[in-house]
Amino acid sequence: MLLQGTDLQILTQPLLRFDMRSSVLDWLGIILKRDLIIAFRRSSTYITPLVFFLIVITFFPLALGPQESLLSSLAPGVIWIAALLASLLAVESIFSEDFRDGSLDDFFVSLEPSFILVFAKVMIHWLITGLPILIASSLAAIILYLPLESFVPMILSLLLGTSFMSLLGALGAALSLGKSAILSAIIVLPFSIPTLLMGTSVVTFSLNNQDYSGFLMMMGAMLAIGIPLLCLLTVEALLLNYD
Amino acid sequence: MGSPPLFYRWSSKIIPWLGILAIIFLSVGLFWGLLIAPTDYKQGDVYRILYVHVPSAILGQSIFMFMAACGLINVVWRAKISGMMLKSAAPIGMSFTLIALVTGSVWGKPTWGTWWVWDARLTSTLILLFIYAALIGLYSSIDDKTKADRGVSILSIVGLAIIPVIKKSVDWWQTLHQPSTFTLTSSPSMSPEMYQPLLLCVIGFYLIFAFTLTLNLRNEVIDRERSKNWVKQIFVN
Amino acid sequence: MLPNLKVENLSCVRSEKAIFKNLNFEVLPGQNIEIIGSNGSGKTTLLRTLLGLINKEEGIINWLDEDNNFNEYRTFDCFYQGHQMGIKNMLTVFENLKLTHNAKGMNEEDINKCLERVGLYKINEMASDLSVGQKKRISIARWLLKDFKIYFIDEPFSALDDPASDLIKEIINELNHKGSSFVITGHRSSNINATLIEI
Repeated sequence: MLLQGTDLQILTQPLLRFDMRSSVLDWLGIILKRDLIIAFRRSSTYITPLVFFLIVITFFPLALGPQESLLSSLAPGVIWIAALLASLLAVESIFSEDFRDGSLDDFFVSLEPSFILVFAKVMIHWLITGLPILIASSLAAIILYLPLESFVPMILSLLLGTSFMSLLGALGAALSLGKSAILSAIIVLPFSIPTLLMGTSVVTFSLNNQDYSGFLMMMGAMLAIGIPLLCLLTVEALLLNYD
Repeated sequence: MGSPPLFYRWSSKIIPWLGILAIIFLSVGLFWGLLIAPTDYKQGDVYRILYVHVPSAILGQSIFMFMAACGLINVVWRAKISGMMLKSAAPIGMSFTLIALVTGSVWGKPTWGTWWVWDARLTSTLILLFIYAALIGLYSSIDDKTKADRGVSILSIVGLAIIPVIKKSVDWWQTLHQPSTFTLTSSPSMSPEMYQPLLLCVIGFYLIFAFTLTLNLRNEVIDRERSKNWVKQIFVN
Repeated sequence: MLPNLKVENLSCVRSEKAIFKNLNFEVLPGQNIEIIGSNGSGKTTLLRTLLGLINKEEGIINWLDEDNNFNEYRTFDCFYQGHQMGIKNMLTVFENLKLTHNAKGMNEEDINKCLERVGLYKINEMASDLSVGQKKRISIARWLLKDFKIYFIDEPFSALDDPASDLIKEIINELNHKGSSFVITGHRSSNINATLIEI
């Protein structure tokens, strides 16, 4: 026996510690799983934005009259405005519950780097608001007489746009944590204008049979820059609440 | 600069100079621009509102850049004075943006026949106003001043990143909906006699900004340091 | 023996008022620190400063590990529980333990053992149906998921009945024997074996 009991322990311990340590992916998995279970059990979280989106969409034909030509030309703007507002609806809840019950403290102590938390939270917000909106948008396109050819560009632009809105919304939520829910939306709205402009441009260009790929690339670029920048700034904003 | 008492003493000396310089530049620039500069052959005397409109539009944008720079310094190095600067500059920048919008609209009435045109510049100035409003709104919602400074700093950094995108996308949006036929200010076509007083006005407006910023900042410093000895000494004597 | 935590000359000033000044203490393995103070005296601020959630004004905080790696120590060897306990109402008792990072690699049996140790047997009950005292027990069960080197617990004894506080004392004692240390806060001394720090 060359190795005695204690030596063996020393040899195996670092390995064991490494196994027990949560990696970035484990963290993402735990937060996503936990929050999705909660969101699933509390169905209002994903139904409210969905219903809100469809009601706002319905308001336009009711207010403007049901002429097909008018509605189909307004459809890109209407769908986009409704999507923006609906995705801002649940923004306040991104961090507020974790902040109130103390889980946020735990994340900041034991999660390194902290922006993984923000990234996970943004993903959850997108899954419970952006994704339902994305699905409902095809229904909206039908009732607003949007031509079938514009479906794919609409879905693509909403996919990129709502993801960016979730990112922006997380920052707004972090800055207005513990304050009024409407504040976070007002902070975020002026910054969402480029998304709105480019998103509607994509759909309008496809209506006119023009090339819209440039706008989609711009939106993709905004998302690519936004993920690291906004996540880091959101961490900063969250830490303000502990000072 | 970094320490509040030092800033206070230093600013007492500089304020009168800033005021005097601002008055000189503005009165010369405005006098020249409004009375001496030649009348525009297309627009007549109406164009002279440009001597207020253009400088305030420029100031509205550059004050935002200034604020974002302060915000960056505040977030990265936690320099308190930069947070106070950000706070003091915000209402000034918002006022200039508002002046630019109002004068632009007044200018639009005789030239376009309507108070408001969704011109690319006017639209992005309007969005800038909303961003100022968001910053000031956030400021007033956070009670603790140091925290409010940092929060607004963070938001101003986002603004810095997104303003070029806003400008670009508003330009695209306009070409999509209405090909731009006429822009308010096209500097290359301006004659030097019109351009030189404008330059003086712009410098004058910058000086006014520096002047009001310093005054605001002094108030802010005194307000936050009111329990400190050096403030008490100043006001007791 | 290296201390788990060593604090030298720690000071914190908030809005011109010193919350604590020149704190010096060290926490050896198996020893406890109890921070006593009235409401608003800065106990929570002190805990958060120790954990690096708040920037310290002055002083040195040494987390003594073999290689003195603060981040590794903080994220792996230290357990923090704030005044709010982080119990999710919409999760079951079991899930409240399972869906935390500390439960990584633990099977159902291990987790059930932790829950049984604190007297929770209905593991599939939703946390929203539980009383405050029972929620507190879930949070105590979380201490047992892993052998942490140091525990920071904010007011563990507040709003507890006698059996529950006896349970906490028992568990603290147990974990002390394994070499873990506790830094806890409270309004008054809780009669656990600890060095008192009044702020």
